[in-house]
Amino acid sequence: MTNFIEILIRGVMLGSLYALVGMGLTLVWGVVGIVNIAHGEFVMLGAYLAFWSFSLLHLNPLLSVVLAIPVFFFAGTMIHKRITERLTKAPELSALILTFGMSILIWNLAQFFWTNTYRSVPYLTGSFPFFGLVFAKSKTVSFFLAIGITAALFAFLKYSRLGKGIRATSQNPEVALVCGINTIKMRAVTFGMGIGLAGAAGAIVSLQWVIFPQMGASYVSKAFAIVVLGGLGNIQGALAGGLIIGVLESLVTQYWSAKMAQIIPSMTILLILLLRPTGLFKR
Amino acid sequence: MKDLIGGHKTWLGIAILMAFLTLIPFFATDYWMTLLVLILIFTVYASGWNLFSGLTGYTNFGLAWFIGVSGYVSSLLIADHKFFWLFAWPIGALFVGIVSIGVGYILLRIKGVYFAISMVALTEGTRELIGTEYLEPITHGGKGVPFVAGISLSALYWSVLLLAFITVIICYKITSSKFGLRLMAIREDEQAAETMGIHTTRDKIIAFALSAFLTGLAGAIHFTYQNYIDPSFGFTIHLTLTPIVMTLFGGVGTVFGPAIGATLFTFIHEILWAELTILYMAIFGAILIALILFFPQGLLGWMKERGILPRIRKI
Repeated sequence: MTNFIEILIRGVMLGSLYALVGMGLTLVWGVVGIVNIAHGEFVMLGAYLAFWSFSLLHLNPLLSVVLAIPVFFFAGTMIHKRITERLTKAPELSALILTFGMSILIWNLAQFFWTNTYRSVPYLTGSFPFFGLVFAKSKTVSFFLAIGITAALFAFLKYSRLGKGIRATSQNPEVALVCGINTIKMRAVTFGMGIGLAGAAGAIVSLQWVIFPQMGASYVSKAFAIVVLGGLGNIQGALAGGLIIGVLESLVTQYWSAKMAQIIPSMTILLILLLRPTGLFKR
Repeated sequence: MKDLIGGHKTWLGIAILMAFLTLIPFFATDYWMTLLVLILIFTVYASGWNLFSGLTGYTNFGLAWFIGVSGYVSSLLIADHKFFWLFAWPIGALFVGIVSIGVGYILLRIKGVYFAISMVALTEGTRELIGTEYLEPITHGGKGVPFVAGISLSALYWSVLLLAFITVIICYKITSSKFGLRLMAIREDEQAAETMGIHTTRDKIIAFALSAFLTGLAGAIHFTYQNYIDPSFGFTIHLTLTPIVMTLFGGVGTVFGPAIGATLFTFIHEILWAELTILYMAIFGAILIALILFFPQGLLGWMKERGILPRIRKI
């Protein structure tokens, strides 16, 4: 029984990270209308940011999580202003192809400069007992970081002026424009936030898993499953979806096989699209 | 399209080109033959993708599924059941064609990006399933299937040449037929098309299955040519994306666009691969970005705009 609870909690911790990646994707998709296939590559870049600042500058990885958010936010707004804003009125295939091009460009460059070597950040190692259960330190810290960022995101979207503008743009861009909201700016900010979330997730991920140039692919497939589960553009749905995927993965890995756990994202996408194309949760 | 390939001159040109291509095995080196085989295979992939997605507007991101399923069926028939290659190919293609009727019936209700994602999910799911221990007795699991089909390069070349020719003819016939017009009506406005009395579900499924059959046939030939198939190789996302990029390069919804795109792109690929192996994907990615930003109409569209090619009636 304690084993089962431990696996559940491990799944929730894993899910909180997936949710971070998924929320970024769903935000960009819902507000900007662009399906960012390169989303996983920004997770990878975030992880490398944490790795290099740790190994070259001896920066505390927890600090690089905080650092990653503004860096990636700025990069995201720049990318959107220069490139993706032109695609908001183009057919959806254009955005898919362009972001795919961005994705292979980024990982191949990462491979070129940083090689395929598996790297990790040996910062928080070991584990601690807690009421008879055993937890890895790095995973627990990651979980609280992820929850903190998620809470900050929710508060930002709900209470700040910018957040309200973003929500208005997502609900109806034309009416938002009429009400005096600069929707172009809102889209750029949202794109930046999505990339910022991906970068932060990457920096957190670097605490517990290996880092390599093609690591983004597995995150992006999970993020797609999360978006489909939670419903397009639905942030709360993405949080719930991330937790569901995390718990499922943890349970299937433990009680079935690690290979079957890899089928979860694609099976979830197919099942949800067939049974409830709008996602599990009401918006 | 009528003005472009209606005249006698064009047909004469096509006949000469075909005669030349048919005679190539008698004088070309093996290097050029393999290059041409790849060009022709990708011409079929790109045309097959264009046949469904270019006309109906449903972005099919699961072309690798057609290729992989048919490739697996035909490769396993050749490797484990000692089928003659000429019989194994159509069985693989028919298998994926028939299965895709069922898949299309279920998935073609989903629209837009969701359809694209569901096809990716289908491809990824099938790939993982084939690699699991449950299907290992049939599929050899993740180890892959090496086999020797005992086919000469010339025979392979002529088969794929014939297939590419038939595919382009089918695409031409369909784009200038009522069936093609119905598919394009679905692309422009599915609801309106349905109101006009078009049986949209049936037409979409027919186009989907036809696309699956042709692509599957080329896929079977592709893996016979490679003499090997495994899950990550047979269902790689590149088998989906390269034909799409080729089609975009040539021009979506045109008859010759995919063939032109496939030819140019295979050469670019060949040059890049030879010169810049490490940064190959990065350059490929940069080309994709540039293509979308600067040539959204494809090469054919761009040349027509500039007056290099005659402007033709747009359907």
